[in-house]
Amino acid sequence: MGIRRLVITLLAAFSAAGLHAEESVWDRLQIHGFASQGAVNTSDNRFFGDSNNTSFDFTELGVNASLQFNPSILLSAQLLSRRTGDLYDGTPALDYALADVTFASTMTHALGLRVGRIKNPLGLYNETRDVPFTHPGIFLPQVVYFDKVRNLMLASDGLMFYDHLYGETGNLSLTFGGGRAVNDENVEWTYLGNNFDGDLEPNGLTRLVSLWYATLDDRLKLGLGGAVLSMQFDPGAQSLLAGATDLIYWIASFQYNTEDWSLSAEYARESLEWHDYGPLNPDRKSTGEGYYLQGIYRIRPDLELMLCYQEGFSDRKDRDGTRQSDLTGGFSPPFNSFSKIWSAGLRWDIDRHWMVRAEYQWNHGTFILSPRENPDPSQLQEDWSLFAVQAAFRF
Amino acid sequence: MSKLSCNRGYFQRYAQESAPQSGDNGVHRYSQRLWLSASAAALIIVVLCPPALIAQDLIVNQDWPAVPLDRNDVRLYFTLRLKLLDNQRPVKVFVLPDEHPLHRRFAKNILGLFPYQLRQVWDRQLFSGTGQVPITVATEQEMLEQVTATPGAIGYVESGSNPPQVRILEVR
Repeated sequence: MGIRRLVITLLAAFSAAGLHAEESVWDRLQIHGFASQGAVNTSDNRFFGDSNNTSFDFTELGVNASLQFNPSILLSAQLLSRRTGDLYDGTPALDYALADVTFASTMTHALGLRVGRIKNPLGLYNETRDVPFTHPGIFLPQVVYFDKVRNLMLASDGLMFYDHLYGETGNLSLTFGGGRAVNDENVEWTYLGNNFDGDLEPNGLTRLVSLWYATLDDRLKLGLGGAVLSMQFDPGAQSLLAGATDLIYWIASFQYNTEDWSLSAEYARESLEWHDYGPLNPDRKSTGEGYYLQGIYRIRPDLELMLCYQEGFSDRKDRDGTRQSDLTGGFSPPFNSFSKIWSAGLRWDIDRHWMVRAEYQWNHGTFILSPRENPDPSQLQEDWSLFAVQAAFRF
Repeated sequence: MSKLSCNRGYFQRYAQESAPQSGDNGVHRYSQRLWLSASAAALIIVVLCPPALIAQDLIVNQDWPAVPLDRNDVRLYFTLRLKLLDNQRPVKVFVLPDEHPLHRRFAKNILGLFPYQLRQVWDRQLFSGTGQVPITVATEQEMLEQVTATPGAIGYVESGSNPPQVRILEVR
């Protein structure tokens, strides 16, 4: 296999220090991956491509390798290709690539450091959000896990320390660190509303902390995570605009699992502050929020039903969106500032490798839609529905 | 484990293994019918049912020390959070496929976890690059061969076979 050979070549320079003679380091190389294809149909508005006429522009491919180089050093990387309508064209990108160094690992705790491109441990799903098998619905709750702007909170190029405590009443896990956010154009589209001439870039480092608690039987999971980051807009030659946007994000998570059902709820808040964008764009603040409640019922181990309700607001002090609509002179309708969504889905894990699922959504509001896919707000419909199917493979 | 649940477990297992492959609902109904019709006879068998029939044994390579493990320690090994034996030798975890009846019973009875929970933990580590996953073998026989041959190996078998070439560890 090509990747295996590449990794072997890359690591040939390393000596076998710390390894046991009877076992080759290559016995501890693992290669896995996944592929998925979806179809999306919407009654109105565009989601992941030309969904009014059923869009097949929804493909996810990933392949990863990990090597437990010695008992305390793990090396891992994943290549990811996503094609999601107008948002991503499928160009492969490095999803993560890290070295995990464990300083101590005992029956009571584990302490270590990760260096490289690291997925941010925010919420129940962020770290594995693009792997279809790891989350219940086809789409993650969009009011918390935005697909219109995913990259700012997705991963960091930097360092993260972790400490896991294994106690008598449960496991506690603390992660903190910082790094440069892995940015993209969708961020600019969402936070500035249009693809201006220039670049919106993270200014300095994202600082992040996350805390998880789980009972010993993993039935109850509680999480709290937060991140702070600042972005700078550098105007191009055609633009007079320059300014900065500061962002504070936090998320609280809850999950309860039994044999037949699971209940998950998360609440996320995002405070944004725009300043120094010039006299025509007065400084302003807004706090967006999103929350959902999701239930899973396992009819059989391989068949599950999903029901979810979510609400999200671009400004929690203007939940009906009128003030934000007025700010645009009515150009953007009030319902573009909120989303209230019911969704129901069915998932069938056919065997160890294959899974298929279907999902239906009733949407009120268009907050979760990308302005990049829906550039003309006057074309937006307040009430719309979505139906999607997906097939996924893993190895 | 009480004698009653031991007996019921025996019949459920018997039902799962002898029922046609008609999906779990069918199996469940089948086992319920079986359970009802056998409930009278069960009273007698309660006394005779040897616990070995329903239990699963934690097995390790002969290089493991013969020391009992806490359930929590076993969980740490099977979720790959604890990678070392005696703080130095790497542990190799072997499991059967998620849908294998022995895997389900081992996960529930010995680990106190449902198979889907184990899968979630492994997937989170695997697809975020923060950990590896156990090695999946196809059959109980292959499990036994791998644990016998691999230094630091840990796995499980159905109780009662008492394989001499591996060590059976008590889980407390």
